[in-house]
Amino acid sequence: MTREELQERILSILEHDFEFEAPGLTDNLRDDHGFDSIDAIELLGKIETMLGFTLSREEKEQAMSIRTINDILDYIEQIRSARQS
Amino acid sequence: MNRRVVITACSAITPIGYRREDIIDSLRAGRSGVRPLRDDGLLSGHIHSRVFGTVDYPIDYAFKRVHRKTMGPVAYYACQVAGDVLAQSGLAEEFITSGRLGVAFGSTHGSPTVQREIYKTFFGDLDNKFSSIGAVDYLRSMVHTTAVNITRMFGITGRVIASSTACTTSSQAIGFGYEMIKFGMQDAMICGGADEYDTTTVAVFDNLLACSVAYNDTPHRTPRPFDAARDGLVVGEGGGAVLLEEYESAKRRGAPILAEVIGFACNNNGGDLILPNLDGITATLRLSLEDAGISADQVDVVSAHATATKMGDVIEAQAIAGVYGDGPLVTGLKSYMGHTMGTCGVIELTLLLYMMEQGFVAPTLNLEQIDPRCDMIRHALTVIEQPIGIGAVQNFAFGGVNTSLIVRHADKDAT
Repeated sequence: MTREELQERILSILEHDFEFEAPGLTDNLRDDHGFDSIDAIELLGKIETMLGFTLSREEKEQAMSIRTINDILDYIEQIRSARQS
Repeated sequence: MNRRVVITACSAITPIGYRREDIIDSLRAGRSGVRPLRDDGLLSGHIHSRVFGTVDYPIDYAFKRVHRKTMGPVAYYACQVAGDVLAQSGLAEEFITSGRLGVAFGSTHGSPTVQREIYKTFFGDLDNKFSSIGAVDYLRSMVHTTAVNITRMFGITGRVIASSTACTTSSQAIGFGYEMIKFGMQDAMICGGADEYDTTTVAVFDNLLACSVAYNDTPHRTPRPFDAARDGLVVGEGGGAVLLEEYESAKRRGAPILAEVIGFACNNNGGDLILPNLDGITATLRLSLEDAGISADQVDVVSAHATATKMGDVIEAQAIAGVYGDGPLVTGLKSYMGHTMGTCGVIELTLLLYMMEQGFVAPTLNLEQIDPRCDMIRHALTVIEQPIGIGAVQNFAFGGVNTSLIVRHADKDAT
């Protein structure tokens, strides 16, 4: 999955499941869209399903520093890359 | 400190309507909200009782996702009626978030619908490779989900009392809210309860042979409180809320005063957890009159718990006769909608407030031939146009918990 395809999937999830309106890649998730820690855990579950594997506790804790959609994409790419290496 | 407490708003989602006018019309027309039990794809096919007090009309919920995500169906009912009473009351935003407004609200067991989804995950009904218990599932299903979803939605920072005592859940919530204000702990309380469509509860009563089964083809003819042909209770769903306020501050801000809560009592039978107990119930009724500082002959109407079980109605009629004699009119409002479980106390109080405002007493529906063992009290058999000065709402629950609330019409100010 390319970065563009990944971006499309994540934006779709955020718009449909989390009801984001006009999400921007650099928007602050909490301030601009009210995305909170409960949402973060829900999103990680959806990312697990999308990637086809279960995230470890350490990998999930890394996600808690995410602030923007670009951060989400970077995070997923980093996880995928680490798993492949 | 011993302050007066008034009701300044009420709202109820019931099987006989949501809008005040619809509920009053149903009471006046003798319209039942009992329908065929809907299929849940799990238990409903095994239950003998095929009737349910059903909310079968659409409700226009306008909740944002930020709130919806922690709400199961039971919290939808709760937040809707809580929002109604806040809107009706006209309380200022700064008071709502001040810490002087609290919430006393409960349900029988949170959200069974969400709990059922969790069990499906446990038992591998879903994709077991990646699914887990969702982060919000506990918040949506937990037993205090109604109370805290209300606080979250409206930014309420006062006390939270999440009663959960089955059929006395919301009457306890109202009573405890009344005491919070009376004794100066809070200046206002949103009180009530909610229970969603749930076949587990029906199955429990069905297994105890306490559910109605003889009127499956004519749901509107059951339940039949105090009637010789009654054959048990009918479970129902709904939600209700009242806003209680300290009298002086309510008067100062020009709030609409619907009634004053003048008495409350709650006790336990101290023994059997299921069987109705004449001594326990009688003590509760007497204690509430003592708390109100009135005599039994001052009560105009008693809203009986009246579930239409074979023994429960007889014991309740004996208790009413022992305490009130045959003075007050007695009505069993579950006859219109079944037993809405944790919600029944607040719904029955709301209906009493509507009847107080309108000046009529709705009859016990389906009461065609009074059981001779229940015939020593003054049953309301037709719509009776009469002012209600003081009314009592009594409720009794599994676990041996009894409550009695006494309210006085706003125009019958004793001072």
